[in-house]
Amino acid sequence: MTLNTEQHIQSVYDRDLEAVQALVVKMGGLVETAILEAAEALEARDEELAEAVRERDRAIDALEERVNEETARLIALRAPTASDLRTVLTVMKIAASLERTGDYAKNMAKRSHVLAQMPQINGAGGALRRMAKTVEAMLKDALDAYIQRDLELAHDVRHRDLDVDQMYNALFREFLTYMMEDPRNITACMHLHFIAKNIERMGDHATTIAEQVIYLVTGELPEESRPKHDHLTAAPLGDNGD
Amino acid sequence: MDDMRLTERTVETNDSKITARKVQVYYGDTHAIIDVDVDILDKAVTAFIGPSGCGKSTFLRCLNRMNDTISVARVEGEIKIDDEDIYDPKVDPVQLRAKVGMVFQKPNPFPKSIYDNVSYGPKIHGMTRSKAELDEIVEKSLRRAALWDEVKDRLNEPGTGLSGGQQQRLCIARAVATEPEVLLMDEPCSALDPIATAQVEELIDELRSNFSVVIVTHSMQQAARVSQRTAFFHLGYLVEYGETGKIFTNPEDPRTESYITGRIG
Amino acid sequence: MTDASLSNAPAAPRSSRSLHTVDERTRKRNASEKRFRAYGITAILIGLVFLAVLAVSIVRSGMPAFSRMVVDIEFTLTQAQFDEAESQLMKTSAYQEFFNAALQERMESAGVTVPFDAAAVERILGKTGGTIREFYRANPDRLGEPVRFELPAASRVDGYYKGRLSRDTMVDSRFLMTTDLDIVDAMHDAGILKRGFNWTFIQGTDSGVDNPGGAGIGASVIGSFFMMIVVLVLSLPIGVAASIYLEEFAPQNRFTDLIEVNISNLAAVPSIVFGILGLAVFIQFMHLPQSAPLVGGLVLTLMTLPTIIIATRASLKAVPPSIRDAALGVGASRMQAVFHHVLPLAMPGILTGTIIGLAQALGETAPLLLIGMVGYVAREYPDGLIAGFTEANSAMPAQIYTWAARADVAFYEKAWGGIIILLMFLLTMNILAIILRRRYERRW
Repeated sequence: MTLNTEQHIQSVYDRDLEAVQALVVKMGGLVETAILEAAEALEARDEELAEAVRERDRAIDALEERVNEETARLIALRAPTASDLRTVLTVMKIAASLERTGDYAKNMAKRSHVLAQMPQINGAGGALRRMAKTVEAMLKDALDAYIQRDLELAHDVRHRDLDVDQMYNALFREFLTYMMEDPRNITACMHLHFIAKNIERMGDHATTIAEQVIYLVTGELPEESRPKHDHLTAAPLGDNGD
Repeated sequence: MDDMRLTERTVETNDSKITARKVQVYYGDTHAIIDVDVDILDKAVTAFIGPSGCGKSTFLRCLNRMNDTISVARVEGEIKIDDEDIYDPKVDPVQLRAKVGMVFQKPNPFPKSIYDNVSYGPKIHGMTRSKAELDEIVEKSLRRAALWDEVKDRLNEPGTGLSGGQQQRLCIARAVATEPEVLLMDEPCSALDPIATAQVEELIDELRSNFSVVIVTHSMQQAARVSQRTAFFHLGYLVEYGETGKIFTNPEDPRTESYITGRIG
Repeated sequence: MTDASLSNAPAAPRSSRSLHTVDERTRKRNASEKRFRAYGITAILIGLVFLAVLAVSIVRSGMPAFSRMVVDIEFTLTQAQFDEAESQLMKTSAYQEFFNAALQERMESAGVTVPFDAAAVERILGKTGGTIREFYRANPDRLGEPVRFELPAASRVDGYYKGRLSRDTMVDSRFLMTTDLDIVDAMHDAGILKRGFNWTFIQGTDSGVDNPGGAGIGASVIGSFFMMIVVLVLSLPIGVAASIYLEEFAPQNRFTDLIEVNISNLAAVPSIVFGILGLAVFIQFMHLPQSAPLVGGLVLTLMTLPTIIIATRASLKAVPPSIRDAALGVGASRMQAVFHHVLPLAMPGILTGTIIGLAQALGETAPLLLIGMVGYVAREYPDGLIAGFTEANSAMPAQIYTWAARADVAFYEKAWGGIIILLMFLLTMNILAIILRRRYERRW
């Protein structure tokens, strides 16, 4: 009897595991597209694109529901253990993170629809788009790390969340200045702020996905807590230093 | 990206191979099987689960009239295979058993050579006219049982010299040699170790592309792994019968749920 | 949670006994087990002692039957002498004279000086004339050349050398006189009279009461052989078939239960009852020839059938039901399952049972008593195959009994010799049974 460490003796088990992971990867692709398109819609003030993003979120939600059903079946029928169990648990968590990310993208699209009606704030769209691209890159890398089971890449994604947090901080202060400059900007800036917050949250979800990859490969969540630079709650208003 | 082969659920489209209506079985005065109605699908694996003594093996043995050999057993009701009542007086049980093969709990190869084990069935049913045809049938059956590569050089050695898992696969080869349409398996893996069990389960999954397989098992996990339809028996009644995934994630009858979650035994 | 103890008194500490110390109970138990083993060994030893005593006494009493005193003499008869003897009226006496002359020469050349006459020779050697005549009539090509004869001495001479007879207790009679003993001693010293192997015992037939020396067991061996053939040919198929039917096919009802109980009882019926049955049915009703091995075989068949049926049923029952189920599952009918699978596996047990049954039948005497084989003097070998069955004959145990019952003490050793031969047959059959069982036993 040779030890085949790659495949289960029961081939249908492998097929089921691959199938459910494929669902997640598909979801990931849709979410990446959603992020990019939402950012594009915001910058270009493209209402149609925004609308399309909102429509496509339904597909993402449907996929998440399917993933839930399939993982329930997998657990009931296969009673997975060890790495198979971690595979199933991480699939569930990743799908949940992706679904929330998709929702944030949808919200972005909703707000950009509203923003299109208002006067433009200079530079905001570009900054947000850059942030969105960063986050999308993180998500893509997290998903790649998941597919490749790449630990280093996953750790790298975790650390990049720092950049996103810093970008958010910068934008926060920028919007504050815009609002203080001209009270007519407040509405738009509030929307923009929420969008920035959403993008920052997307970054956190991408980090969660990376952490799930680390759990999947090593069996343990990373020990050191993720680096955070969310000092805003501690620092008093108006303080420009870091 | 296209679809994942979550195709086990598409058995909805198969036909019924065996239909049982209002089946009763009496052992002397004991009413062992009560009012069972079930449709067993073709080209699918159906599992019978339930606690000890619930009647699942008894019902299985009705399907190939093995209960005839027990003098105190009496079967009533209608069991049809391909729309023919198998308890009709015109039916010869011996012919029936060529069409409905059986694999037992403890591997029981004949104390003859491997070749003779597999060729016995086709010989007595007159299925072949020449030695070459018989050789072909033996090879085909052993390949179907995923045993050919392991024994092709020692076909003349006694069947009892194989390991437990190999013996059971030999019994499966013997059962499929008569080209049955239905394969009945009575706890085929209970005497095997986990690796041999997994190999036999994989084999069952391959076999269902050609046969209708009914497997009695006292392991719910095995039923979950291997079958597309599951029937839960309890105290002689058929309590619930449905698609395996549904039975194990959301059964309808509370008794089924109690058994599956380990609350009754 | 406080850990209050339930009682005020401190609990007695648990005595921790070392495993290395032996306590009283263990010692007593070991002692009684040793005693039991001693009883067992003693019982076996007692059994062995009895067995040894039995074996020794059989061998000591029976070995003399295999040897006899013979006169070893080279004798030449020329064609002329032959013709002359044949032309005379008293042919055997003529040969006797020739022989006596040759014997005289031989004795003188060996330096035996004791005087003897023709009458003495006749008492010592019996009627040699007839023996010589028969030989030359059968082998005329040996005329003119020296032929070595080994002529058996008279049974009293034989008895003298085997200790049955002594000079002191002897009474002169027409059979033997004291002076003859001198002649015999002289011949013995000269090497003319010596001990040889008694082939007649093995090959010969029974003789009349007056010729114990010539008695042989050969005819009764043949008789036993034919009887065993009848038993084998009849009881094996009938027994096995009946057993298979009862075990595999008969319905479970009162009637079959009755049959089974009766079969077990039949095995315990005294064998003489079968003898009476044989007499009444086979001889008186069916008019089969009396004392024939055929009738003996039929009676013994009836006796052996229950044994074979019981052994066969036990063998069939020992075949695991999984084999039957497997055969039925593949689509064999009940008959096919039994004949292709169950029977071959039960064969070793059936064969063993049959051979043991035959061995038992071989040694049975009581039924043969009533059909006439005991007391029948089997003087000749049967002529051919059919005659072997139908001609009256004796059987080994019957022959032994007959010899043991005769008055002449010389038959005593013959009876013991017959017992040795019978035991050898039985031993051979039992060993055969063991060998067959070992060879054909299969593990499943």
